[in-house]
Amino acid sequence: MKNRRDFLKLGALAALGASIPGCRKADKPQLEAFTGPLDPLRAYPYRGWEDLYRKQWTWDKIVRSTHSANCTGSCSWNVYVRNGVMIREEQAADYPRISADLPDYNPRGCQKGACFTEYVYGPQRLRSPLIRVGERGEGKWRKATWDEALTMVAGRLLDNIYQYGPDTNTYFSVIPAMSPVSFAAGSRFAQYTGGVFCSFYDWYCDLPPGEPLTWGVQTESCECADWFNSKYIVLWGSNISQTRIPDAHFAWEARYNGAKVVGISPDFNSSMVHTDLFLAIQPGTDAALALGVAKYIVDNNLYDAPYVKEQTDLPLLVDKRTNQFVRAEGSTDRFFFRDAKTGKRHEAPGSMGSKEKTIALNGAEPDLHYSDGEVTTVFELMKQKLAPYTLESVAQTTGLALGDIQKFAHEFATRKPAMIIHGAGLNHWFHNDLINRSLILLVALTGNTGKNGGGFNHYVGQERVWPERGFKAYAFPEGAKKQRMQNMTLWTYLHSSNKDPHLYNGKPIEHYIEESIKNGWMPLYPKKRDQKPRALIVWRANYLNQAKGNEYILKSLWKDLDLIVDLNFRMDTTALFSDVVLPAASYYEKSDISTTDCHSYVHPFNKVLDPLYDSKPDWEIFRDLAKKMAQLASERKLAPYHDQQFDWHRDFTKTYDLWSGNGKFQQPEDGANFILDGSPETKGMTFEQLKQHPQRFKKIDEEAWNSEIKEGQAYTPFQHQVENKRPWRTLTGRQQFYLDHPWFLDFGEQLPVYKEPLSDSAKYPFFWNTPHGRWSIHSTWRDARYQLRLQRGIPICYIHPEDAKARNIQDNDWVKVFNDNGSFVSKVQILPGEKRKRLTMYHGWERYLGFLQGGWQSPSMIKIKPTQLVGGYGHVVFKLNYWGPTGNNRDVRVDIVKYTPTAADLQAIHRTGKAKA
Amino acid sequence: MPQHQISMVLDLNKCLGCQTCTMACKKLWTDGDGMDYMYWNNVETRPGQGYPRNWDKIGGGFEDGKLRPSELPSKEDYGQTFEYNYAERLFQGGMQAMPQEEVRNTPNWDEDVGALMLGENYYFYLPRLCNHCTNPACLEACPRKAIYKRAEDGIVLVDQERCEGYRYCMKACPYKKIYFNELIGKAQKCIFCYPRIEKGEVNACAKQCPGRLRFVGFLDDPESAVHKLVHVYKVALGLFPEKGTEPNVFYVPPFNPPRTGSYGKSVLEDPRMPMDYLKYLFGDEVFDVIRRLEGELHHAQGGGTSEVLQLLIGRDDHVRYQIPKHQDLVQIQGAHKA
Repeated sequence: MKNRRDFLKLGALAALGASIPGCRKADKPQLEAFTGPLDPLRAYPYRGWEDLYRKQWTWDKIVRSTHSANCTGSCSWNVYVRNGVMIREEQAADYPRISADLPDYNPRGCQKGACFTEYVYGPQRLRSPLIRVGERGEGKWRKATWDEALTMVAGRLLDNIYQYGPDTNTYFSVIPAMSPVSFAAGSRFAQYTGGVFCSFYDWYCDLPPGEPLTWGVQTESCECADWFNSKYIVLWGSNISQTRIPDAHFAWEARYNGAKVVGISPDFNSSMVHTDLFLAIQPGTDAALALGVAKYIVDNNLYDAPYVKEQTDLPLLVDKRTNQFVRAEGSTDRFFFRDAKTGKRHEAPGSMGSKEKTIALNGAEPDLHYSDGEVTTVFELMKQKLAPYTLESVAQTTGLALGDIQKFAHEFATRKPAMIIHGAGLNHWFHNDLINRSLILLVALTGNTGKNGGGFNHYVGQERVWPERGFKAYAFPEGAKKQRMQNMTLWTYLHSSNKDPHLYNGKPIEHYIEESIKNGWMPLYPKKRDQKPRALIVWRANYLNQAKGNEYILKSLWKDLDLIVDLNFRMDTTALFSDVVLPAASYYEKSDISTTDCHSYVHPFNKVLDPLYDSKPDWEIFRDLAKKMAQLASERKLAPYHDQQFDWHRDFTKTYDLWSGNGKFQQPEDGANFILDGSPETKGMTFEQLKQHPQRFKKIDEEAWNSEIKEGQAYTPFQHQVENKRPWRTLTGRQQFYLDHPWFLDFGEQLPVYKEPLSDSAKYPFFWNTPHGRWSIHSTWRDARYQLRLQRGIPICYIHPEDAKARNIQDNDWVKVFNDNGSFVSKVQILPGEKRKRLTMYHGWERYLGFLQGGWQSPSMIKIKPTQLVGGYGHVVFKLNYWGPTGNNRDVRVDIVKYTPTAADLQAIHRTGKAKA
Repeated sequence: MPQHQISMVLDLNKCLGCQTCTMACKKLWTDGDGMDYMYWNNVETRPGQGYPRNWDKIGGGFEDGKLRPSELPSKEDYGQTFEYNYAERLFQGGMQAMPQEEVRNTPNWDEDVGALMLGENYYFYLPRLCNHCTNPACLEACPRKAIYKRAEDGIVLVDQERCEGYRYCMKACPYKKIYFNELIGKAQKCIFCYPRIEKGEVNACAKQCPGRLRFVGFLDDPESAVHKLVHVYKVALGLFPEKGTEPNVFYVPPFNPPRTGSYGKSVLEDPRMPMDYLKYLFGDEVFDVIRRLEGELHHAQGGGTSEVLQLLIGRDDHVRYQIPKHQDLVQIQGAHKA
């Protein structure tokens, strides 16, 4: 074979030769082609049967849709329909290419998306409205009509409003980016009925609090194609091969393009296997490693001085006596550095109080090292703080080899661009803010933030609603100030019997909570402290199953609530423990749009088929609920309710008119078009157009984001600041590593430091680790049969072989995992890659499935970090999902013992009598 | 011998172990009756028991040119296909949802387990499908002559009309990639998605692979990526070459990172994963391939450009797949004649 032409010619000869593909069953076997006995290695005459499989690869129609599970995937799929049944799905694989150099985004999707059709028709699917007849969670129901169910819900909500106040009705739905129209249907309803709208991004501990603290943003990461531009990728607590399945290829392909990939994780997980350097770090010691690297960079003069002087607060002057920034007289938000050229104080441009709307230095030369009797610089204070983090001490703290740390530090500082891909492995710790800040410090010192292929890129939760302006206008039509916004961590903590036993600087957390509420830093509803929440409406979420402090919640909050309503396409744990279950259309039976941090495109959900059974899109459920409320208010002749907090006379006979924008929003598509039209990112796009293929954003909203969308380039944030010298969205207008708020000073956290994980109790030797895994997106797909068959198919707790041996535990045994908060009984798997003295269970298992006792959140409790209750400090102010206490869950310790099933257990296990013990 | 041989190369250093290929194949081909336990494509953690359990240890293939059939794997070797009592638990007030039988094995039972060497864990993912061998043991073993190799593309198929379910093929296959459908009494296996290939569309397992590690084309097409990876750059190897079937699915062998404290050392000098294990799977040639790949990687990471690694990046599907439609071949021939 010489060249391709010869290859094609020969192909043609073959096709014309003895065997012709695609001949029909009716065709006679071409026996004349054979002279000798049948030799199937050379030729085969009986090929008519081959149509059998050709027919299997046929369909009547293909409709594009996607999934809404908070995976950050936002993957466009084609759903194949044959004979009126959705038979399978395949990635649409038509994201337009950004540039010839960058690998494309196709095919975006994973094994879970590839079997969603199972859920559409599965046994968990909700088919009609249900009203509970047994105990909560028992699974005993009666079918109801929509009218009956909605009358019950709307009536009870109205009762609560007039009897106890609108802030006793609580609404919970997560992650608008994954389906903003469905989200907004309920948030609009909450706004027009005065309900409390709860946060999720901080509660799920996906919010990296170090980003609002340092950068004044919620989260800003590069899109994943930008990974390919890097020459040094650090997977820090992020298992991309499992949790970023559609994007992981960019990292492994970057490696072939000259990047080195470093993995930092306690366990040898699916991503670590492909790294150039694996650092098997001791759990919770990541900040120590980062600060060791920072010290190495500073000591060896490897930092990018011009960048640091212009882009960070490190040159700012601090008063040595008060540890507060030196501020302009009478001001809280104007700061100084010392100009090395003139030897004089120079006001730092671009701070919140500065007249200059730029951070450009215009020839000034900030002195990083200045110190006198009265003042010093943040840089000098940082150097002092870094002093203890010698390579030797860091090696000891982290359990890593000193040589590996040193090589890592040197490469990180010298290979450019370098980026950190940061995940929940780090972000779920109690001291997540300190960990974030320590890592952000590294990319700032080396001048990597704001550059393609560089930066600190956090991917946990699909938080980025790219068309934000239009979304906000649709979801909160009267504005955020007229909506009762609530941090969910605080709400759940205070309304359940969770009680954190730790003392913080000698005081219980309640002390700080009360201070924060009193100062107006954090909100708390119901406003009347003797009032309890009465109703909880959940949609697009599985609140109960995923909540830390599960056992406390079940014993307290869940008993106090009078009405729990769940909108869902499947019976998940929250639905199972609800009073009224409203069947929602699945992802393939509704219209909506989808965006994610991981890419720069928008694409649609479509109705592959009309909603199955008696289900309705959640958008329509809220529409009908609004209508029902208006109808009941008229029938009951309710006078408007005066909502004092907003001085708002709420006329509930108008609920539907308000909700629908006086009839402007008749269909979910109207909402989608409103969002698209109202946002610079998507202006000019229509929902109809999105059906053709995913569309890349056109430009960005400068109020929301920090870089432009550029043709031929992957998006990376903070180019506005680094290239265009716009101020950072912080008090100082710079990347702010020094926080001189009194609470941060009290806790010694004005600069990043390493603090040990918060220990529950010395008596429990194992860390309890519940990471995201490949087999589910949170709880979605956790109970799906096709998925379960490809795992062990039952909740599994992983343990290191030596730890198993010490406790006489064999693989596949039943085990009990416990601490003072609660316990569960599950199967165990011995995993050599697991860290010693740590137990892992991938998160999201439904409480109702496979556990003999409890659930994966049984050992956890809510622990609020005092400094995350802070407000009233420049950029550090409460904002839904942007700043507020995170629901961390890594600083939990447990013990494990082998468990022998009881007679009752055996009855449960062998219920069918098929299996033997 | 076929005129042409379609082939697949899988780069194990890009595999995520996500099983999207497995699911893609399952939903397209093995979602029917009697096929629950069947995964024409599966991904297994290596070292490990594999699917079916111990398939690599029980025999099959040729020895001195003669068939060496194995025993048939048991049902439990393939793994259970348990069900949960969802409806009972969720809608009828029943007991905790539990598998209908005690789970003792599944096709991915030892996912992410691998093994320990001197206290450090090593493993990699091995996606497997029918190798569409040049010298298929299954074909040789079939007394019905119901297994054949297509002349135009070398795809090996079990004739679903003529198969009588004797299962000699299953015993003969050294990769244990033929399955028995008890309901219809026939052997079934990967068909290399021939209905798609005939239309120029790549296999579902490749098309849907988010790790983008599969390269598909004709091995005898000098411009195909598979040809280059196997014959020009020589970085891809078949599994168990000594079994004598000449597989047409090839693998770029895997690396693991260095052991703790060994950063900077060659993987051959101080491997986390014992090289003998790779030799067991891919034969002696694996040493040269690993050396070659390591050299290319160091070259790229040192600022150079590696041709073979640039190809393995596979920036889009045009780079990874070269599959002329069968009908196009005919048309080109017609033009040539004129």
